Amino acid sequence: MFQNFTQYLIEKFHVKEPDVALIPELVQEKYISSGTFLLKPGEICQHTFFVEKGLFRLYSLSENGKEHILQFASENWLLSDRDSVFFKEPSKFYIEAIEDSILIPMDEEIFRKIAELSPNFSKNNEILLHNHIRHLNQRINLLLSASAKKRYMEFIKLYPDLQLRIPQWMVASYLGITPESLSRVRRDLASNT
Amino acid sequence: MNTKNIELIASPRAPHFVGDGFRVHNFIPSGFRMDMERMSPFIFLDYNSKFNFPPSDKPKGVGVHPHRGFETVTIAYKGKVAHHDSSGGGGIIGEGDVQWMTAASGVLHKEYHEEEFSRKGGDFQMVQLWVNLPAKDKMSKPKYQAISKDRMGTYQLPNDGGTIEVIAGDFKDVIGPASTFTPLHMSNAILNKGAKAEFSFPAEYNTGALVIEGSIKVNDLEVANTDHFVLFENAGETFSIEALENAVVLIISGEPIKEPIAAQGPFVMNTKQEILEAINDFNMGKFGYLED
Repeated sequence: MFQNFTQYLIEKFHVKEPDVALIPELVQEKYISSGTFLLKPGEICQHTFFVEKGLFRLYSLSENGKEHILQFASENWLLSDRDSVFFKEPSKFYIEAIEDSILIPMDEEIFRKIAELSPNFSKNNEILLHNHIRHLNQRINLLLSASAKKRYMEFIKLYPDLQLRIPQWMVASYLGITPESLSRVRRDLASNT
Repeated sequence: MNTKNIELIASPRAPHFVGDGFRVHNFIPSGFRMDMERMSPFIFLDYNSKFNFPPSDKPKGVGVHPHRGFETVTIAYKGKVAHHDSSGGGGIIGEGDVQWMTAASGVLHKEYHEEEFSRKGGDFQMVQLWVNLPAKDKMSKPKYQAISKDRMGTYQLPNDGGTIEVIAGDFKDVIGPASTFTPLHMSNAILNKGAKAEFSFPAEYNTGALVIEGSIKVNDLEVANTDHFVLFENAGETFSIEALENAVVLIISGEPIKEPIAAQGPFVMNTKQEILEAINDFNMGKFGYLED
């Protein structure tokens, strides 16, 4: 139980070995079936989720019903609508399970308890936050300026084995291209390597 | 000849959906004592026990996905499956048919309920087996063997006892149409109530029987009911099955491929490095392209 989560706390928050035993008292695992929503537009996101096992996507729907995927989260990823959690504002996004999954929901209280176990919690949390901002900036920049091929290459660098777990249309949606463009990109890559 | 005894009779595990069209119980490799090494060359067995799908305008199934390093064998008992692949191939697997796809170096394919079946709905019952390939053949060229029911080798049991339909390998002097890379036997025993059939395979061959219909008595000893899998010991050669009611039983037996196995999702290779290469080749479009 909590194997990935425990490892995550040890690596990212330098929680020490004896305190690891306290983790099961702090948090609870939640089993989620594929297709379950953790968040829908209009709701206020109450948690940051740690993915112990499985796969989720965070997306919005445009007026014409087209899905735009902002993020995938598989094992060891944190997933949340941070704006909604922090500012207590209604979310614009869906979070949906792509696979049967296990996750650990965390709220302020749990973060406070973890902080007690982590000597430099604020500093480490800040690093994670800036990492997230860096990732978002890169993603905005790629969507504004990069070719479909460049975006695809960055996608497989970030999520090397994700395409084994998701349908092709989700890849195209994440990249902001049509399935036909995705097909062209793959064809070009195959013929040039 | 010594008797091949039962090692265990596995009940079907809780079903899960593959895509939205296949409601399966996994026996290999997740079943008790039935991991890839133990069952080699049979490294995967998903069984869609008889399940009634309601009519659907949009065919249910599983979208585009890759395979490398093994063969997929799809046996249709009820319902029909349509399939397409990245080399332009495709077809329909009807009731009683078998599709033997050698993925080998790699294909993308997708499998759906056949359109007319989907529109009407009905009982659906399938087996998908993965047969491992030896290292020297893992990167060979992909190919298909579409084996329709009328091409199966057939052995008529005496006294109107039923038929052994041989898919691969042999039963007595009847040879199955499928060509295989390593020695293995695969057949459907279609038995009338009270009929008995005796099978004989080398002791070291990994051997099992999946009860598709009815119930059987094995070695005059133990009863195996519908949807149960009988695993035999790697000792002794012969075993018998007797139909307690009209029965259909899938019999598999194969020489183990004694090579290391590295598996991740739809790739089964010999080393972790080869798995990473498979993922990279797939990401880089080298498995070709197929529309969703």
